[in-house]
Amino acid sequence: MIEIRNISFSYKDAPALKDINLYIAKGESIALIGPNGSGKSTLLKIINGILFPQRGEYFFDGTSITAKRLEDNAFSKKFHKRIGFVFQSSDSQLFNPTVYDEIAFAPRQMGLSEGEIERRVSDLLKLLQIEELRCRVPYHLSGGEKRKVAVASVLAHNPDVLVLDEPMNGLDPKTKRFLRDLLIKLNSHGKTIICSTHDFEYVDGVFKRAVVFSKEHTIIRDDEYGRIISDDEFLYENNIK
Amino acid sequence: MDWLFREDRYEPGSDSLKFIDKSLMSILKILSKIDRLGGQRRGILYGVTPPLKLISTILTVVCVSTSRDATFLLSAGLFVLINLIMLEKSDRKRVLALGITASSFSAVMLIPSMATGNIINSLIIVYKVLLTVSMANILSVSTGWFDVSASLKLLLIPDIFILVLEITLKYIYLLGEISLNMLTALKIRSIGKNNNKYSSISALMGNLFLKSKEMGEELYSAMECRGFTGEYKRVLAFNISRIDAVYAIIVLALTAAYF
Repeated sequence: MIEIRNISFSYKDAPALKDINLYIAKGESIALIGPNGSGKSTLLKIINGILFPQRGEYFFDGTSITAKRLEDNAFSKKFHKRIGFVFQSSDSQLFNPTVYDEIAFAPRQMGLSEGEIERRVSDLLKLLQIEELRCRVPYHLSGGEKRKVAVASVLAHNPDVLVLDEPMNGLDPKTKRFLRDLLIKLNSHGKTIICSTHDFEYVDGVFKRAVVFSKEHTIIRDDEYGRIISDDEFLYENNIK
Repeated sequence: MDWLFREDRYEPGSDSLKFIDKSLMSILKILSKIDRLGGQRRGILYGVTPPLKLISTILTVVCVSTSRDATFLLSAGLFVLINLIMLEKSDRKRVLALGITASSFSAVMLIPSMATGNIINSLIIVYKVLLTVSMANILSVSTGWFDVSASLKLLLIPDIFILVLEITLKYIYLLGEISLNMLTALKIRSIGKNNNKYSSISALMGNLFLKSKEMGEELYSAMECRGFTGEYKRVLAFNISRIDAVYAIIVLALTAAYF
């Protein structure tokens, strides 16, 4: 589904990714782990077509994703429909006047009927246990509530791939546990989950595979999640634990 | 809930994203400009201490603007030319482009004057515009914005004014980054036909305004917690190197030529 071949990316003179190769199959749940500044967020942005690598290629379902390809509006919309991105900062993502409008934003653009939109929004408010926030202004919500609304707003267009950038950051334990259960549920129903994380305590059971980034911006290990997370020596050595 | 667990069959309708793309590009341009000007550069002129560059630029601009002496104006032209040669290629292009554009505009505005026979004076004005705009831009491309604002202390600008200027610059960058993220989020969620693009943008601007208010209040609280009572002292490091001494001598010689 997602194939990354020899990708390198630099911000001016500062390298962020060096020669990255990665294949992610449909329905996988994969954690990207590594120290701060190792390039995890940059890779997530490349996967979402926000940044484009200076070297290497990125294929989504066999189609090369380039800046030029995404200039084709129809393709760009179809691509973004299939891949949803939950930003690290929910504030960046929420801009509608109410939580309802926020979640209904993408379904409205898809041309769904108001009845179908209402159904999707209500289902998501219920799924994320934020029904009482329906008419609230997103800006004034707490960090955990904002994150839930951000996840709901992305799920509303029913993407096949859900990409999350440090979703557990700044959340209380209860919300973390809730988010973990939600990710497990979504993955069990066939959604591909790609997530960068530092928070190993609360993601038990979510990921089957982990990709470890080094501070030199390369992938140093690609293995079963459980095997990596139990390798304390490796995690300490690489400033992950 | 079944809709979430099965694949949608969705074909997007035609809709243009140009408005969002253009907004993204213009913010990116501003951010990269601020970021670029704060970075470390290689070259003699980039190494000249900022306060000296600021004073020299002001002095040269004032002298060029008020002089009618051909020898002085030619010397000033030579000085600008040497400065240009010492810039990086991309910066040189930018300075030249801005200088030529500004002087072309003034030439167009002076056409009536030239038509009535006042050719020499008009050409002098065009030349002066070219020199002064180039000097200002040479300072701009070769000096970080924060260095320029700190150098204002030498011109007896109050410290608190410099503080406000520096905070403004910092927040233009920070809020620019936030708006860039917001526009990116809007773009990647624009998966169909959005008839209310402008209202999405205005909602985004509203959020940005609230965010800036919140950040401003937090900054002020943080400053208060660190003992800020409305007074601010900006320390200006002013070390003279060999390059600075040579640069100062050239500028002094030029100023002497004015008199």
